[in-house]
Amino acid sequence: MTESVAIAQTDLLCTNCAGQCVFDPASGTLTCLRCTSEHRIAIDPDADPSAEQHYHPDLPHTEQPRFTQNRPYQCETCGGEVVFLGHSISESCPYCNGNLIEQSSDESYVTLGVIPFALSDERAQINAQGWVARRWAAPSDLDAIVSRSVVAGIYVPFWTFDSEEAVDYTVKYKVRSGKRTYTRSYSAFMRTKFDDLLMPASPHVTPLIRDGILHEFEPGNLRPFEPAYLAGFAAEFHHQSVREGLKHNAADKALLLRNRIKKHSGKSSITKVSYATDTTGIKYRRILLPVWILHYSYQGKPMKVVTCGLRGRTFGERPFSTVKLFAFAAVVSSAVTAFGFIWGALQLF
Amino acid sequence: MLTSTGPVLATLLIIGIAASLGIYPIKKLIRVQEAKHELKHGSPGFFRTMSGWIIIAIWLAATWFFASIVGDWWATGDLSSAIGRSVRRLELLLRILAALADD
Repeated sequence: MTESVAIAQTDLLCTNCAGQCVFDPASGTLTCLRCTSEHRIAIDPDADPSAEQHYHPDLPHTEQPRFTQNRPYQCETCGGEVVFLGHSISESCPYCNGNLIEQSSDESYVTLGVIPFALSDERAQINAQGWVARRWAAPSDLDAIVSRSVVAGIYVPFWTFDSEEAVDYTVKYKVRSGKRTYTRSYSAFMRTKFDDLLMPASPHVTPLIRDGILHEFEPGNLRPFEPAYLAGFAAEFHHQSVREGLKHNAADKALLLRNRIKKHSGKSSITKVSYATDTTGIKYRRILLPVWILHYSYQGKPMKVVTCGLRGRTFGERPFSTVKLFAFAAVVSSAVTAFGFIWGALQLF
Repeated sequence: MLTSTGPVLATLLIIGIAASLGIYPIKKLIRVQEAKHELKHGSPGFFRTMSGWIIIAIWLAATWFFASIVGDWWATGDLSSAIGRSVRRLELLLRILAALADD
């Protein structure tokens, strides 16, 4: 970690009784665990957390964040040692349970905005277990295994990326004429834009889980980074530089671009898409989004169910029961076989 | 007796083989259903999960095709003629699958 790091701790204590406070998703305030006083979180009225940063490859904000793996700090409340591990920026003191939040002014990993939790842990637990219970062909013991785990709240780092694309493309497609099939090609130019493509910058949320829990992203809900929002929750800073984030985003963007090209060409039976794109106007945000994660292990394989801390959408990883899959396949096979048998017996065609 | 036992055994064999080969297509079918109901439509994860669904159609079409031959065999008692009559069905089936794969 660089020298520009500061720790927020005493600001997170109750102004009435000096007790430890945590962020309460229900009230959106900093709530004292001892006297239950609620403290409104003051934010800079001039700050615009939804503002996007322009990407310039030669500026320092594209550099890989510098940090040391273990960063010990002395708790300002009790004097105990608190160690920040890896990418963590939110810890609690093991002696007095005080919350410590790392803040940095280093441009290469400063958080530009955060959307605070709005969903309680009880609701997230219900959603996660409900999601597992609704899985088809899941092992019979899965519900019991998952119910032994509890959700943990974490602010996960994300990127949002904007870009403008000028695309020269060629599609190859099939056309039929009588009994013969011909391959034709069609070339054209199109302009398209990407707006607020969300890319997780932490292994806690995979791109697939992102698409399951974050159906909508509203930049207007972003708040300026305030340590109070993180009090009582785990949080991480970005695992990547902007350049690395863009690189991770490339596969998603290419997939979306290919689909837009197919639509733009107006052709069907497309067999191949090739293109060259000139990307300009790249803008980004480095933000934290709230998720509840339920980690569990099935037959030694670690899995997770993730609930969005905003509206509660849930998605995750799940195992399948081979026996149930076989039973489903046997039922469907029997039905299709009966249909085919009757078709053949009646010699319909 | 032989003509009725043969088709019955063949039918059971088709169900057994189709069920065994159907484990992966059924898994894919469940993933596709989950994607349709839970993933954001038009997202990269949605496209990735939906791709490859043709395996489900191939599995169902193959099961139906072989069962139709056995049904024909059971009705006529003539396996080789039933196979001969199935060629047109196979051609049509392959065309449908090719059209689906293109989409």
